[in-house]
Amino acid sequence: MTINALHQGGSYKVQMPCLSKMERVIVGMQDPDMGVKMRNQRLLITVIPHAMTGSDIVEWLIQKFSISEEESLHLGNLIVKHGYIYPLKDPQCLVLRADDSPYRFQTPYFWMSTKWPAAELDYAIYLAKKNIRKQGDLIEHEKDYYNQLHKKINHTWDFVVMQAREQLRAAKQRRKGDRIVIECQEQAYWLVNRPPTKNMDFYKREIEYCKKAMGRTRVKSSICLEAYLKFNDQYMPHDPIMSGCLPSNPWITDDTDYWSMNAPTVTTPTKLRVERWAFNFGELLGDPLGHIQFMEFLKKEFSAENLSFWEACEDLRYGEQSKIAESVDSVYQQFLAPGATRWVNIDSKTMEKTLEGIRRPHRYVMDDAQMHIYMLMKKDSYPRFLKSDMYKTLLAEAVIPPETKKRVFPFMRKQRHSSPSPALLLPSEQDPKGEDKNKALASAAGGGEG
Amino acid sequence: MAKEECKALLDALNRVTACYRHMVLSVGGTADSQNLREELKQTRQKAHDLAVANRNKLTAALKDKNVSKEDKAEFERLWVIFSTCLEILETDMKRALELGLEFPLNVPKKHLIQTGMSGGTAGVAARAMSVQNMKYEAERNIDEVDLKDLEQEIHKVGEMMYEMEMKVNVPQWTVEAKQDPGAELKSTTSAGASSGGFVSIEERKGFCDISKLLAAIVFSAVLILAVILAVCVVKLS
Repeated sequence: MTINALHQGGSYKVQMPCLSKMERVIVGMQDPDMGVKMRNQRLLITVIPHAMTGSDIVEWLIQKFSISEEESLHLGNLIVKHGYIYPLKDPQCLVLRADDSPYRFQTPYFWMSTKWPAAELDYAIYLAKKNIRKQGDLIEHEKDYYNQLHKKINHTWDFVVMQAREQLRAAKQRRKGDRIVIECQEQAYWLVNRPPTKNMDFYKREIEYCKKAMGRTRVKSSICLEAYLKFNDQYMPHDPIMSGCLPSNPWITDDTDYWSMNAPTVTTPTKLRVERWAFNFGELLGDPLGHIQFMEFLKKEFSAENLSFWEACEDLRYGEQSKIAESVDSVYQQFLAPGATRWVNIDSKTMEKTLEGIRRPHRYVMDDAQMHIYMLMKKDSYPRFLKSDMYKTLLAEAVIPPETKKRVFPFMRKQRHSSPSPALLLPSEQDPKGEDKNKALASAAGGGEG
Repeated sequence: MAKEECKALLDALNRVTACYRHMVLSVGGTADSQNLREELKQTRQKAHDLAVANRNKLTAALKDKNVSKEDKAEFERLWVIFSTCLEILETDMKRALELGLEFPLNVPKKHLIQTGMSGGTAGVAARAMSVQNMKYEAERNIDEVDLKDLEQEIHKVGEMMYEMEMKVNVPQWTVEAKQDPGAELKSTTSAGASSGGFVSIEERKGFCDISKLLAAIVFSAVLILAVILAVCVVKLS
């Protein structure tokens, strides 16, 4: 079993935290005094150091983390499955056995890492090397992979062959024992990263993945591009950069009228702003002024409790965690209880569900009811608002700000200057010296202006 | 001939890359040492020089208009091999940097992983640098000092690869490999020194055949002799 890398794209990848933790455990095992007991592995002629038995590993884990044997075995299994320790006797079977079967540590280059997912090119080079060493006698699944890769990366196949030969020649420069170790290491690495059998877990995961992929919402590009074009057509006259802004762009002329005229609460809104309220319900509710006007309208229609309920639900959703219980209670008392003062009209199914959820209040317990009321307002009250006299008068009374006159004579134009650094204008609480300094700097900055 | 020179340079770069990878394998393990880090540094520099030489030669060859079609295809193939080699080199350098940062040698508390490797990598380094013996001239804390140089060189290689991609227009997918699957089994030349150990497969196969042939000849000769002797005995008696 292997964990796939989290995301393949992007140049900056971070190590998965579970892998970092496993690495720390492994480094902890290396301590000459407190680490795992090491033995020597005896092959026919060569003796290779740094082998350990499964039972030693399990015991060490029990001692170090004060856990039970079952947990230690499970932890050890995870470490072996991720390739940090590999078995020497039966390399295909990545399981930690708590007996005297030998294991060895994997070199850090071959550690599993989300930063360095195992590459196809490396696998191709490994298979080519194995092919040379075993003279064509590869295992079934390796043969399949080999042919697959030959097709996939055909353009660099010459390189694969060259590199495989050179790597084998480089390995000949080392001792026999080291050569055996390196072969075992590489074999273990590729057994972890390209497992031979596609077992039940693999297929289960594939099914899950395909299900999720099918469940994703897909829109034909022709449709979504149409919607995109419509959006752009609608919003372009309102975009201050694309269509210019009246009275003038403050960044250019230093005239802040544009901002003061479009402040959240202003007595006479600009025409563009009022027009935007007609685009969709979200725009209306999102604009504080529009929100207030809509509330006024609803009061006239005697359905203001809908909007109040919606506001209360928003407060609940984005409010403080400690106040959630009392928030839910107050919403219930005000809007949902039978005979409440501002009872909102919700269908029975949603009401049942909400009442059940209130027993265990949390932030999103009112979501269904809120959505129901929102859709009600959107489908019913909002179109009426747009057709109402109130909206029409707002539109008529809205202001189109005049463009600032560009003064003819250059010295009459407002001079452009960069605003003084906020650091200079910080009020100094500490000492009078600081104050003087600030005053001096402020006056210097002021002198630099205009 | 430009082609032969390019091929020779590419073979050299390939050899150095393989040796570099082999050495990076040992970083962090028990075969790690200051010497290894110094070997890595020297190999890396040699690889860089070879890469620059390769790039210059190949770009000159690819820009040359008087080159025939087959030659051009051949140069494109060499170019693809070269860029893949650089990719592998860059990955290995990045990994060497990361491993070097994780396993500093002079910190007493950080233990090296007991991987079972006991020998040194001097032979591999000598092969990479094409010398008989390696000379170690660096200071005691080269593992830390070298990391900054390594970072810079990684940037340099990255830039070189980017430049190469931008300036030379060789579509990788149009290059077809000369080797079929299983080509590595028919190894013909074994360039470079190969010390003791096992003989290459083909030679071994050849020997087997020759020895079998010899044995058959000897056996048949002995058989014929025996038959002649028997006939003589029969005739004389």
